Amino acid sequence: MKALQNCRVLDLGLVDYEIVHDLQKKIVEDVIVGRAPQTLVTCEHPHVITLSRRANKRHILASDAQLKKMGVGICITDRGGEVTYHGPGQLVLYPIFDLRKDKKDLHLFLRRLEEVVIRALRSNFGLNALRKKGMTGVWVGPYKVASIGIGVRHWVSYHGLSLNVKADNKFFNLIKPCGLDVKMASLNDFFSDGVSLDAVKVMLLESIEDVFGFKLKGGMGK
Amino acid sequence: MIKVYLPELGENITKATVSYWFFENGASVVEGNDLVEMATDKATFNVPAPCSGTLVEIMAPEGESVEVGAVLAVIEEDTVAEKEGEEGGA
Repeated sequence: MKALQNCRVLDLGLVDYEIVHDLQKKIVEDVIVGRAPQTLVTCEHPHVITLSRRANKRHILASDAQLKKMGVGICITDRGGEVTYHGPGQLVLYPIFDLRKDKKDLHLFLRRLEEVVIRALRSNFGLNALRKKGMTGVWVGPYKVASIGIGVRHWVSYHGLSLNVKADNKFFNLIKPCGLDVKMASLNDFFSDGVSLDAVKVMLLESIEDVFGFKLKGGMGK
Repeated sequence: MIKVYLPELGENITKATVSYWFFENGASVVEGNDLVEMATDKATFNVPAPCSGTLVEIMAPEGESVEVGAVLAVIEEDTVAEKEGEEGGA
């Protein structure tokens, strides 16, 4: 049986996108040269729309004035994908994993991140979470609940996945997510009693241990 | 001259799109520097410089789709004297 890999968890709470992006880049540098362990960053972001370098800016449907009024920032970033929204109530996971220790395969890594969400939602919430053929992300019925976009340097990953737990869905109307006509939803929409962000976080961490064969240290009292 | 190739990015990945060049033709690069960001599906991958030297030619412009194994750029490697000079000056 393959030994479990150690991975630390940094649980940051609500932090600006740019701050966490800078932190990720520093950790990636350290993981590349073996100065830092593999790291899973978990956080939420204040309202922000992020675009990959090659994203079509026309997929931001709101005007600058509207975004300003709603307190939504815009960031150009270095992940894969198109246009994405982040905001409070959305759980964001940034896995800074050393793929040299596993499989050097970008698409396999994307599928594994989807698997993390799918297993957590199926086993803990009984939701029929699914992939959609030819697309990246996780859906429940016609609704997309998790978005994924990664960057890889020297086979160390960064960026990652966002799962809408109790996000304010009206903010998704400001963009054409991933450049597609998709309906976005939060887990909260499927349960009348609501869903706890902390509980979902613990479930996702357990699912990461399961899918990646990791022993996570730190974060959520583990 | 050292050619920079698009490496294997995983099973069933045959192509990637040039997303962003971090340097222009004629720039000095250091081994390991990110040279170019490639994009495939929802992933980006930064191809590093395989050696230190001068980036003499970018073969694939931003936006172009490139096959795995194709040449992305050509680097003129620093001479031994230049390398020793760098080390001596460090």
